[in-house]
Amino acid sequence: MSSISQNAPGKTVLLMGNEAIARGALEAGVKVCAAYPGNPSSEIIGTLAKVADELGLHVEWSVNEKVALEVATAASFAGLRGLCAMKQNGLNVASDFLLNLNLSGCRGGLVLVVADDPAGVSSSNEEDSRIFAKLGDLPLLEPANFQEAKEMTKSAFEISEQLGLPVLIRSVTRVSHARGNVCLDELPQSRPKPRFENSLRFHALPAVLNHKLLHEKLDRAKQMFEESPFNFYRGPEKPELMVATSGSGWMYSLEAMINLNVQERVGVLKLGTTWPLPESYVLEHLKKADRILFIEEVDPFLENNVKEIYAQNCLFLGLKAFFGKASKHIPDVGELNPEIVTHAIQNLIQVPYEPRPADYALRAHEAAAELIPARALSFCPGCPHRATYWAVKIALALDGRDGFVLGDIGCYSLGMGPSGFGQMRTLHAMGSGTGLACGFGQLNRFGLEQPVIAVCGDSTFYHAAMPALANAYYNGADFLLLLLDNSATAMTGFQPHPGTGSTATGKEAPVIDLKAICEVFGAHVEVVDPFDVAATVETLLRLLQEEKGVKVLILKRECALVSAKHQKRLYQVEVEQEHCLGETCGCNRFCTRIFKCPGLMWDKAAGKARIDEAICTGCGVCTRICPASAIRKEKA
Amino acid sequence: METGEKVNRGLKALGEKVLNSDQCTACGACLSLCPYLRSWKGRVVKLDNCNLEEGRCFAYCPRTEVDLDEVYRGFFGKSYEEIEMGPVRKIMMARAKDPIWTKKAQTGGVVSALIDFALREGVIQAGVLTPRDGDLLPQGKIITNRKAVLSCAGSSYVSGPTLEALNRGPWKGQERIGIVGLPCQALALARMKTSTLEKKTPIDRVDLVIGLFCTWALDYKPFMAFLYKRVSSLSIKKLNITPPPERILEVMAGKTLSRIPVDDIRPFIRPSCRVCLDMTAELSDISVGTVEGKEGWNTVIVRTAMGENLLKRAKKAGVIETRPLPKDNLSHLKEASLLKKRRALDALKEMGEIEKGYFTLSANLIKCILSESGETLP
Ligand SMILES: Cc1cc2nc3c(=O)[nH]c(=O)nc-3n(C[C@H](O)[C@H](O)[C@H](O)COP(=O)(O)OP(=O)(O)OC[C@H]3O[C@@H](n4cnc5c(N)ncnc54)[C@H](O)[C@@H]3O)c2cc1C
Ligand code: SF4
Ligand code: SF4
Ligand code: SF4
Repeated sequence: MSSISQNAPGKTVLLMGNEAIARGALEAGVKVCAAYPGNPSSEIIGTLAKVADELGLHVEWSVNEKVALEVATAASFAGLRGLCAMKQNGLNVASDFLLNLNLSGCRGGLVLVVADDPAGVSSSNEEDSRIFAKLGDLPLLEPANFQEAKEMTKSAFEISEQLGLPVLIRSVTRVSHARGNVCLDELPQSRPKPRFENSLRFHALPAVLNHKLLHEKLDRAKQMFEESPFNFYRGPEKPELMVATSGSGWMYSLEAMINLNVQERVGVLKLGTTWPLPESYVLEHLKKADRILFIEEVDPFLENNVKEIYAQNCLFLGLKAFFGKASKHIPDVGELNPEIVTHAIQNLIQVPYEPRPADYALRAHEAAAELIPARALSFCPGCPHRATYWAVKIALALDGRDGFVLGDIGCYSLGMGPSGFGQMRTLHAMGSGTGLACGFGQLNRFGLEQPVIAVCGDSTFYHAAMPALANAYYNGADFLLLLLDNSATAMTGFQPHPGTGSTATGKEAPVIDLKAICEVFGAHVEVVDPFDVAATVETLLRLLQEEKGVKVLILKRECALVSAKHQKRLYQVEVEQEHCLGETCGCNRFCTRIFKCPGLMWDKAAGKARIDEAICTGCGVCTRICPASAIRKEKA
Repeated sequence: METGEKVNRGLKALGEKVLNSDQCTACGACLSLCPYLRSWKGRVVKLDNCNLEEGRCFAYCPRTEVDLDEVYRGFFGKSYEEIEMGPVRKIMMARAKDPIWTKKAQTGGVVSALIDFALREGVIQAGVLTPRDGDLLPQGKIITNRKAVLSCAGSSYVSGPTLEALNRGPWKGQERIGIVGLPCQALALARMKTSTLEKKTPIDRVDLVIGLFCTWALDYKPFMAFLYKRVSSLSIKKLNITPPPERILEVMAGKTLSRIPVDDIRPFIRPSCRVCLDMTAELSDISVGTVEGKEGWNTVIVRTAMGENLLKRAKKAGVIETRPLPKDNLSHLKEASLLKKRRALDALKEMGEIEKGYFTLSANLIKCILSESGETLP
């Protein structure tokens, strides 16, 4: 039994932050959960999907975040509790609905968890999603540890129902992905029956009236938050410095205080309800100290909002000094860590502290490198995307008109780096490659002669590229869309999608045929296997040079990691040492230097390439790229 | 050149001096040696840079720095001195006797018949010839029997990467090889043979080079685009150029014959042909072309002992018949050959300086060529 589905009140279990959030939702009696996968949020719905049947929930991977929020909202409108999860970029997609839902209000508890990715470790940006709470006048909670992640989620449902508003929970990578002890509460056994009350209306209109009602709800939220257990102060009555923090900043601040041993001198105001801020509670604590340092990831959200309250009340509070991102005591981009916070506090109260030597990071890196094998940011061995980009690179070079590739979001985004031979030239939002191609595809009338190629994965296609493809045909754009159909949402952990034939809970689902959709959208569609590099190059060239209008080339080949699970190697691959040219002549170590499949390694002593048996997936693609035909394959 | 400065003689230089300067002849000598060069529809394209300072691609290319004296000494044992049309042992008219060749061949079928004879006699075990696909695109192919020789007969006036097939193989490893190629390809082969770089190609097993006369070759893509505007049918069977003064390109497409003035196709001549010195494929064992005014006959120049021996045996075996080349034809041939050299020098001068061209030639020889070539030919 999964630890999140056990009904064992009082038991302490080790949970990942995202699992704690999922457990909180279960303890709140959630019935409908929907999401589009995106790191670092994916495990919330992933975990719930595993217990969906056991606990009688509906859990789904929706095609995109907006639809996911709509699905969860429907539950709320029908009186059930709904949960929706996404990453920060996803909130942009869902925001159109969210910023009307705030006006219409909702009924059953509705919680939207957004997991932000400070430093953009697995994202295209490091956007701070908290600003959406302010923008939409919506209550916002920020968990600072694992227990709180669970408690806050549970309480968010209550708040949501009391106010008739969706409640936002903002997590970050180090809360979502780290693990800690969580004490469980009871799982409710109630089975509420959904019903849409026809006497109710969920309209955003009339906008001004609803906006006013929304502000009243927000005022009530402020009142509720004055008493919230998620806000507390720890430290001396008159601290020399007060740290005001939220979310992951809490743990960093605690560690910094211990590092410096200044618990007697510095206080910490930890805020969990960061929008709307409980004004009286904040003013109360501002009185304690004249110097306040803000610790939060990524934007100065808390910092600015506290300053706003201060500005309104400065006559009573007297002069105060604020430190944080505005004062440059804390970096205003990237992820924080205890060292940064320690340094900032030490700077402000002048305590002796042996800081990390400047080369600490470098030395730590070197020490770690001895223990773990070096890995470049690269496609996996046997990844079809490597073969695809290789074919694209060749085709564009042979075509000779300086064509270019518009990128999109997915594993294949690595196409911008050496692993994709630097082919991808743009990278923005889900589906933007195809959207940009719609525009580039019109520029030939002004004399653009370069061929235009967009790439898009299968999951991304359903998510946001379909409208762009419809637009392309309707408006007569001329470009080639490469649909990289690896039958998985590989980047976020192999979640199923409408093309995979199964649902989030592992049930069989109808398969939506990519080729048929594209044809219906008026595109000229062909399908190739990217492992057949020569055929792929030929097809690319033919489509680029001979076809006008919208063309779609589906590059169909299962993700190497997925096929490794259910299929044995296609080939036994070997580098014939006597044929390998190695460093001496001609190829100049082509396979390991340029093609770079991790399955190929450079044998320094022999001065030749070799196959790393443990890593090679046996795709056999490299046998076609070696100029000396030194890489041979045999049916495994 | 500054001393101590490293001069690149690798892919980088090939890219700058040949590919990007539109000087490539598409001979194929640089292809299939490394993964960074590819050809497609008559264009050779560099995919990536490599960091070798010296590479075979550069060393074999007929449009990089060629020391003609060195190459001719390597091939003939004497410098570049016979400026009219290279070393000549014998010159004659010839044609194949068996109609199997004459029916399909471009001119008199001597080339095909000789390759077939050499295969049958065991002089060579394989040939590298140049078939065309349904769309006239020439490519190199390894052939080992008569049927394959026949399928390659005829000329495509488009140049293509014949020599890639030599580099690419697959070879069994023992076979002696015969190659038919254009003058630029003969030059590339001679450079391969005389190169001091480590060889991984079977060049040392190339025993026979039959060179084709050539005034110019066409650039595939623009030429085909032009051609398809003129001829309707897609299956082009044969191209032929009638001798001067008419000079008409005859295109046999389906069952209809289209006649296109050669002047209309001149814009598609490869720029690299304009600086080519060689009309008679001087660096061959045997060179073969047409004979003005004698339809169905080849002009044949025998240049090496190997060539002489093969021709003698072929004649004796009744594979080909020969006749003396009429005096007028010989002098016309010499004039035409010299005129090509002269025009190449003029073109180089137009582009900058002759001395900065791709070959080194003594000032004296340059003077000779300029003074001996008349401007009388059409
Ligand atoms: C581009 C080109 C230009 C030419 N220009 C002239 C000229 O100006 N004056 C002249 O007298 N003769 C010229 N020729 C030669 C002429 O067309 C005949 O090839 C020659 O007379 C031999 O005739 P054949 O009947 O013996 O050849 P065949 O028996 O028909 O054999 C022809 C051989 O040529 C090879 N070949 C065909 N096309 C190509 C190509 N593109 N590249 C390399 N090899 C090829 C084939 O492999 C085949 O084996 C030219 C040939 C080419 C390909
Ligand atoms: S295996 Fe092939 S590509 Fe790799 S180093 Fe050897 S010759 Fe070069
Ligand atoms: S066969 Fe080659 S390309 Fe494929 S996984 Fe193995 S090493 Fe990589
Ligand atoms: S002329 Fe021949 S060797 Fe030179 S670049 Fe062109 S194909 Fe390569």
